[in-house]
Amino acid sequence: MKNKIITVAFILMLALGLVLTLALPEKKISSLERRKLASSETLKEDFTANLDEYLSDQFVLRDAFLAIGTSYDRYILKNKEANDVYMSKDFIIEKNYPYNEKGVQAFIDKIKYFAEKTDRESRVFYSIIPDKSYYLDDSKALKMDFEALVQKVNSGLDIDYIDIIHRFKLEDYFKTDIHLKQDSYLKIVDEYIDKFGLDRQHIDYKRHTLNHFYGASFSKAPFSKPEDIEYLTDEIIANAKVTHLEYGTREVYDFEANREVDLYNVFLSGPSAILEIENPLSTNERELVVFRDSFASSLAPLLIPYYKKITLVDLRYINAKNVEARMDLKDKDVLFLYSTLIINRGNILK
Amino acid sequence: MIFSSISFLFFFLPILFLIYFVVPKKCKNTVLLLASLIFYFFGEKYYVFLLIFSCIVNFIIGKKIEKSPKKIYLVCGVVFDILLLFYFKYANFFIDNFNALFGLNITNLKVILPLGISFFTFQNLSYLFDVYRKDVSAETNIFTYITYISLFPQLVAGPIVRYRDVKEELQNRQESTDTFAQGAMRFTIGLGKKVLIADTLYNVYTTVLASEMSLLSHWLVALCFTFQIYYDFSGYSDMAIGLGKMFGFNFLENFNYPLTANSITDFWRRWHISLSSFFRDYVYIPLGGNRCSVLKNILNILVVWALTGFWHGASWNFVLWGLYFFVFLILEKFVLKKYLHGKILSHIYTFVVVTLSFVIFSLTDIQDLASFLRGLCGIGTEIVNFETIYYLKNYWVILAISFIGMGPWLKNSIIKLQKGKTEKMMNVLEVLFLTAVLLLSVSVLISSTFNPFIYFRF
Repeated sequence: MKNKIITVAFILMLALGLVLTLALPEKKISSLERRKLASSETLKEDFTANLDEYLSDQFVLRDAFLAIGTSYDRYILKNKEANDVYMSKDFIIEKNYPYNEKGVQAFIDKIKYFAEKTDRESRVFYSIIPDKSYYLDDSKALKMDFEALVQKVNSGLDIDYIDIIHRFKLEDYFKTDIHLKQDSYLKIVDEYIDKFGLDRQHIDYKRHTLNHFYGASFSKAPFSKPEDIEYLTDEIIANAKVTHLEYGTREVYDFEANREVDLYNVFLSGPSAILEIENPLSTNERELVVFRDSFASSLAPLLIPYYKKITLVDLRYINAKNVEARMDLKDKDVLFLYSTLIINRGNILK
Repeated sequence: MIFSSISFLFFFLPILFLIYFVVPKKCKNTVLLLASLIFYFFGEKYYVFLLIFSCIVNFIIGKKIEKSPKKIYLVCGVVFDILLLFYFKYANFFIDNFNALFGLNITNLKVILPLGISFFTFQNLSYLFDVYRKDVSAETNIFTYITYISLFPQLVAGPIVRYRDVKEELQNRQESTDTFAQGAMRFTIGLGKKVLIADTLYNVYTTVLASEMSLLSHWLVALCFTFQIYYDFSGYSDMAIGLGKMFGFNFLENFNYPLTANSITDFWRRWHISLSSFFRDYVYIPLGGNRCSVLKNILNILVVWALTGFWHGASWNFVLWGLYFFVFLILEKFVLKKYLHGKILSHIYTFVVVTLSFVIFSLTDIQDLASFLRGLCGIGTEIVNFETIYYLKNYWVILAISFIGMGPWLKNSIIKLQKGKTEKMMNVLEVLFLTAVLLLSVSVLISSTFNPFIYFRF
């Protein structure tokens, strides 16, 4: 009897997996993993090479299996850093370890290169945004030597530093994503305004909420709950126009930009090599250039009211020569704003 | 295609079950043959023709040998098989070494190692030897012979199944729900060993290797190498044996808890049994075995172990690995034999020697190997550091599972409980456990990246 049950159960499980996977409608995108899934088109290109990827991507109850797989690692094997993320107070924290001196040096060299292109009269600053692992309890996880990183950057760059590291706390970040929530930047906007010699303004932001945000880290701990994204706007921000090198003119908060893959793309349409934000309601002629990673996408909108034009440059997507050919840093305010996630892997900057 | 892949589990296998168990008996071998060639084609595309060609040549030579058992036919077959293996597996190794030794600049051949060539070559060789010795009669049907060699459960990573062991089953075998269930259980256990243990251990040692290494973390990595290779390869053998059973074949065991051996001699009776018995029967004994002078006997053992090492890969570390075992086998034969009798110290001695051997096995770059061996001795490293303690705390569960699973203790306890009053409960628990292993393995496969079996490269 036992053998009959095993035989039937075994064949049934495999057959059901196949039939349901092929019978259910094909999914194009995994919001949980924030990526496009392999489609049946890939099978037409090379059936034998792509079959496994296709079946894995389209597998019935894929999301549930992903959660079980991660739970096995985290709860049965007691691996605190399963999928290279730690869990702390419901926050998924990406592992950023160990301190990578070569990566940091590569970052310094890249920033120095552009800092030398700036005008001596210009206001040029840099800031470091800590990644969430900065807030982890030292005794529970392998934590990068943040002090060594900051010290190395400070001693390597000959430009003024705006220290914002201690202005944030873990709760200022999304639980399932690497980024800071937009309203957390309100803590530092005034400091930037002061340093750049601009006049403070009282802005009455309107808060809007988008639901069902699965952050970049969500797929690595898919038993977490999705969260909300709040974005801040006012008349000036609403009137600003954004021109991307890659995809033309868009709004500051872009509701068309690949939302099904990543809701964070609502901020300035997501990844972009160079984008320019123009403020037609500006009362001054000042311009700001921000060399940045994705953290700045939600900060930049809050700086719009203070500038005529803000240019954001992401050196992960465009190399230095191309940036130079497209812009002049003279007479402009310049801010280098990077997270420790990028600084520690500085060699990814082109 | 590999067994631990979604495409094998949820495409290849259910479709094959459907066809195989529906067609009449006389068509079953044809179904298995086509399925095996498709299985191989998925991984190696056009090398499937090389596989067929090799089978045809060996089949013809086998018939020739049977008709007229002249040594020349056997020699022709052996030379053909060895040349094939040499060209695809070892030619570039020799070119590289000649270039380095004589300052030459001979260009490497543009060949990719066909999956399982070491295994199917050895099966072909065993067939020719057995026919020559009249241990078995030659196969008369070319399709049956190709089915034997290409049989997908054992094609790419063994066990090295001998023709004489499956000859009867190739002609006439009984499939039943009992054998199928046994096969399914064995397959599931193998899948779990590979996906849930071996692949996890791989992640452990790659993580630890990337950290600041201490003396203790070197030993932790060495331990992970050992367990990972064991669970990976024995898991694959379990899957192969299980699949064989589902289709009515009884392949011989390939592992018998080798990590619990009490000597290196004992270890090699338990580890990759089909390979060690191949070398025993087709190299060691024909060379004279131990029925000769001591010096000749030592020389015979040396040849066997140099070949065993070299069979595992075209790299010096594998030769070193074979010679390392040669040294311990000789030591045991002439000096240590009387001291190694199942005491705990002999188990510890064996485990340490085997663990060190898998360091040699795992590190193909000789400089990396030398550096790692220095680390194992604590040269230039701390004894222990924060990271080592952290990783030991983080990975103790998988290490504990690996320790428990390396011996027969758990299996014996279950068998005992299945015989008493707890039989029914144990049967239910066994089914639930195996279902959990299967579902967990599928979950891990879906959430992890492609991770091929180690033994495929051989």
